[in-house]
Amino acid sequence: MSAKMYRSQARVIAGVAGGLAEHLGIKVGLVRAILVGASFFYGAGLVFYAWLWLLVPLAGEDKVSGGKLLDTDGNPRLKLFRPAPGAPAVSVPAVPRPKLSLGFKEVLIGGGLLIAAVVLMSQQLGLNLNLGTLIPLFAIAIGAVLAWMQLDNTRRVGLLSAAKMDTPSALWRLGGGIALVIVGVIVIVTGSGSWTLVWASVVASLAVLAGVGLVLAPWGLKFWRDFQGERAGRIREMERAEIAAHLHDSVLQTLALIQKSANSPSDVTRLARAQERELREWIYQDGTHSTGALVERVKAVCAEVEDLYGQAVEVVTVGDAELTERSHALVQAVREAVLNGARHGATTVSVYVEAGPAGVDVFVKDRGPGFDVSAVPADRLGVRESVVGRMQRNGGSAEIISSADGTEVRLHLPSETTATEETK
Amino acid sequence: MTMPPTPIRVVIVDDHAIFRSGLKADLAQDILVLAEAATVEDAIAAVNATLPDVVLLDVHLPGGRGQGGREVIAGCTAQLATTKFLALSVSDSAEDVVSVIRAGARGYVTKSISGAEISDAVRRVAGGDAVFSPRLAGFVLDAFGTAEVAVEDELDKLSARELEVMRLIARGYSYKEVAKALFISIKTVETHVSAVLRKLQLSSRHELTRWAADRRLL
Repeated sequence: MSAKMYRSQARVIAGVAGGLAEHLGIKVGLVRAILVGASFFYGAGLVFYAWLWLLVPLAGEDKVSGGKLLDTDGNPRLKLFRPAPGAPAVSVPAVPRPKLSLGFKEVLIGGGLLIAAVVLMSQQLGLNLNLGTLIPLFAIAIGAVLAWMQLDNTRRVGLLSAAKMDTPSALWRLGGGIALVIVGVIVIVTGSGSWTLVWASVVASLAVLAGVGLVLAPWGLKFWRDFQGERAGRIREMERAEIAAHLHDSVLQTLALIQKSANSPSDVTRLARAQERELREWIYQDGTHSTGALVERVKAVCAEVEDLYGQAVEVVTVGDAELTERSHALVQAVREAVLNGARHGATTVSVYVEAGPAGVDVFVKDRGPGFDVSAVPADRLGVRESVVGRMQRNGGSAEIISSADGTEVRLHLPSETTATEETK
Repeated sequence: MTMPPTPIRVVIVDDHAIFRSGLKADLAQDILVLAEAATVEDAIAAVNATLPDVVLLDVHLPGGRGQGGREVIAGCTAQLATTKFLALSVSDSAEDVVSVIRAGARGYVTKSISGAEISDAVRRVAGGDAVFSPRLAGFVLDAFGTAEVAVEDELDKLSARELEVMRLIARGYSYKEVAKALFISIKTVETHVSAVLRKLQLSSRHELTRWAADRRLL
C-alpha cells in the first residue's frame, strides 16, 4: 500500500481502478465491480471515477523530481558533464504499456450498452429522459474521454511531445474526440432541428474555430516553447545542485584537509590521490560494463595501499572473474605484492589483471631499486609466505623477477577446471 | 633515441591556462611550442596556420559542436599526413580514449605523467610511432579479446606478437623493456604498436563494434 495514490500505468481507461486497488491493497476486479455497481446509483461510480481521474496523477508522472533525470537527448544526466563521448544513440525508453486484457473497443461497447441499460431502466421507472439530449451528451462525454486519454498518454513522456503526435492512432483519437464533442455541442445547441440548420451552424462554428485557432496557434506555440525551456532549465538547475552537493561533500572537504596538512607533502599527495580516485569513480562510472567481484576487489586493495603509502597504484584490467575462495587468496597475495612495491619501490606501482577462461594472471610491477630474491632471509615472511606460499597453497604459482630496473611479481591462478585437470 | 636535428614544433590545445603553462615549462628543450589554443575553433585555426609536427590535444574542449578533441582532428584532416595528434586527458574512461584514437590520434597519455615522459611521447609521435599507455593497451586487449590469431594482417584480431606487446605495455613496461623482454628491437616494438593502432582505428570487427556500442562510443 503506497502512501500517495497514483493511477496505474497498466490501465484500461485511465488507470483509476488499478491505482485505487493498489492504494487500498485489494483486487482490481473488486474495485471495478464496486465502481460499476455504484454507477447504477445515480451514476455515483462514474462521477467518482471521473473525479479521481482528474485529481490523481498517473504513476510516474511526477517522478521528474526524484527519478533519473534525462537531458534533451535522452541521455542520463551525467552525460552533460562530459562533452566528448560519442553521438547520443540512446533514445528515451518507451514506457512499456502492458497489453490490455480488455480491448478498447470492448470497453467502449460495454460502456455504451451499460448506459443504454441505465436509460432504459430509468424510463421504465418513470423518469422521462429525452433521448434527444442524452445522445449528444453521451457523444460529448465519449469525445472528452478520448481527448483526455490522449493527453494522459503523452503526459507520460513529458506532456505532448511533438513526436508522439505523429503516430496516426494518437492523431485519430484526438481528432475523433474533438469531432464528437463538436457534433454533440452543435446538436444540443440547435436542438436537433433541420439538417440544413445543422449544416449551416457546423460551417459557422468550424469557421470560428479555425479563426480562433489561427489567432491562438502562435501564442500556444510560444507558451509551449517557454514551458519546455523552463522545464529544461529546472532539470539543469537540479543537476547543478546535485553536482554542487557532491563536490561540497568530497572535493571541498579534501581541499580543506589539504590546506591543513600543507606542511606534510606525503599527506597532501595521499589526500589528493584518494580524492582523485573518488571523483573519477563518480564521473566515469561505467554503468553498462558489469564489473565482477574479482576486479573490484583488486581495485579496492590497490586503493587501500595507495591511501596507506601515498604512492600511485595504476590498475589495468582485462576481463573479470568470480570471486571464489581461491581468488580471494589471490587478492590477498596481490595486496601483499602491491604493498611491497609501494613500500620498497617508492615509485608508481603498475598492476595488470587478466582474467580469462584459463585462469587469472596478475602482474605487479614497480620501478624501485629491486632486490635479490634468493638473498631474502628465510625468516622473512613477507614475500615467501604471503605471496609465494599463499599462491602455491591455492593451486597457483608466483614468480618474482627483480633487477636494478624494478621488480615484477607474476601471479597465476588457473581456473578451477584447469587446476583439477593438471593434478590428474 | 637520437635527438632530431631540428626541434619538434608543437601546438598545445587545452582549455586550462594553468595546465598549458605548466606543460610548456615541463617539455624538454628540443620541443618548441608554436601556439596555444583553448577552444575547438582556436585549435583548428592554430593548427592550420602553424602546421606543427605534433598537436598535444586535450580530449575535452569547449566550443565547436561539443565534440572536443575529436572535432579538432576532424577539422584538420588536410594536415593529418604531416601533423600528428597526441591526445592528452585527465579522463581515462574507455569512451574518451577509444573515440579520440578512432578519430585519428596517434597516441593517448594521461595528464598525470611526468614532463620527461610526455616529451618522450611527443618525440615518438613525431617520429611516426604510436604511443600507448598501459590503460589504452588494456582497452585494446579488452576490445580485441586475448585469444591470438595466426594470420598477421587480419584487421579484426591481434597477432600473437602484438598480443604479447600489448600485454607487456599493459603491465607497465616501457618500449625499451618490452624490446628487452621479447628479444626484439625497439623499432620492431614500435612497428607492432603502430599495427595495433591501425587495427584499432580501422577495424569494424563485430566484437569491437559491440564493445564500443556497449560504451556508447558509436
